[in-house]
Amino acid sequence: MEQNNEFASYVFHTQGVCPPEIHFRLSGEDTVHQVRFVGGGCPGNALLVSRLVDGKPMNAIIEYLSGIECRNATSCPDQLARAFAAVKKGDLQPAATFKVAEDTVSRARICFIGNLDGNLEVLTALLHAVKYEHVHAVYGVGNLTGLSEQNDNVVSMINKHKIQAIAGQLDWQYAQRKEAAPLAPLSLKNRDVLLRLPQVLVFQIGDQKGMAFYGRYIQDLQGYSDFAPFALEMNMVCDLTRFMKDESVFPALEAMTPQFTVRLVVFSERGEWKHHDVGGVMFLGIGSAYENGFINWGILENTADGLKYQVRKTPFSPE
Amino acid sequence: MAESVKVLPNEIQELIEIREWDMRTRKGVDRFRELKARSLPSVALDGTLMYESLIPGQEELIAEIERRFKAKNP
Repeated sequence: MEQNNEFASYVFHTQGVCPPEIHFRLSGEDTVHQVRFVGGGCPGNALLVSRLVDGKPMNAIIEYLSGIECRNATSCPDQLARAFAAVKKGDLQPAATFKVAEDTVSRARICFIGNLDGNLEVLTALLHAVKYEHVHAVYGVGNLTGLSEQNDNVVSMINKHKIQAIAGQLDWQYAQRKEAAPLAPLSLKNRDVLLRLPQVLVFQIGDQKGMAFYGRYIQDLQGYSDFAPFALEMNMVCDLTRFMKDESVFPALEAMTPQFTVRLVVFSERGEWKHHDVGGVMFLGIGSAYENGFINWGILENTADGLKYQVRKTPFSPE
Repeated sequence: MAESVKVLPNEIQELIEIREWDMRTRKGVDRFRELKARSLPSVALDGTLMYESLIPGQEELIAEIERRFKAKNP
């Protein structure tokens, strides 16, 4: 996990080129690091540009990159030059430590899927089972990837079905190209898919606002602040209550919940199904998608009697 | 709770060093757990959790601080 506080990370939204985003870091005055053209484009050329500019001063690079045309009177290198120019002008600020996405549609019935661990069979079976649940949204809140050869297929299927997912810890490592050795390789395309996943998903069910996150790795991201939006909720779950396992501190949690910005907090790092109501906030621990011969998912529903949460399971035999 | 400590008379304030921990921060939470506290607000004296939830009366707090001061400075 990157913890070097001397770097500032940037995300530039491109115009007129294939990759929708360029990610890069600057250290010191203007030294360029880790340029990535994310979400499309020519992987080889993009990698070449990234390697050529790595460790070089931003000012010296701009003149070589600007004005190169590929399509729409611009190109990936030209967009990178424009990103650097935006930084110099103060128009592009360092990116937030973690990405927050919001599902702006108020839902009545939501399905939560936990750690898939790269299991395509489980994902396929889950999607089949969820079809009969009549849900309005499916949120993937655990690791999509795992110690599996099927990670590429799982990420592609999540993407194809437009399931709103957040990045689990392994997903984030893949996105950063820093996965541990036993993990199978992943295509560049799917690494980019993982890189663009948010760390926090904000959603609405009935008149209640909720947030979903994976776990502790977010607190280790460079520049994490205890005062960032949703950091309080994450600190209380991860550190104070140890993922709601330590009930002795629930009175303290109850004293802190009035400062929360949401009434529902969903997390998945422990891979355990949990449900607690403390201080007017519903805390949901999302378990693994497959466990002990069953596939599992959570259903959260807005009913006339308030929010109702159920863990559903069905027998499943992997081939 | 911090207010009940901050409003102690000056002669008592001179005997003690006050540290306040922000429970919104991970450092504050770490300290809270080190003290094995369970609820808020909490007050520890000399690193020992003394009061939880209940705000002690000023007389009780002063007596406890003086007792500890005398024990350390016989």
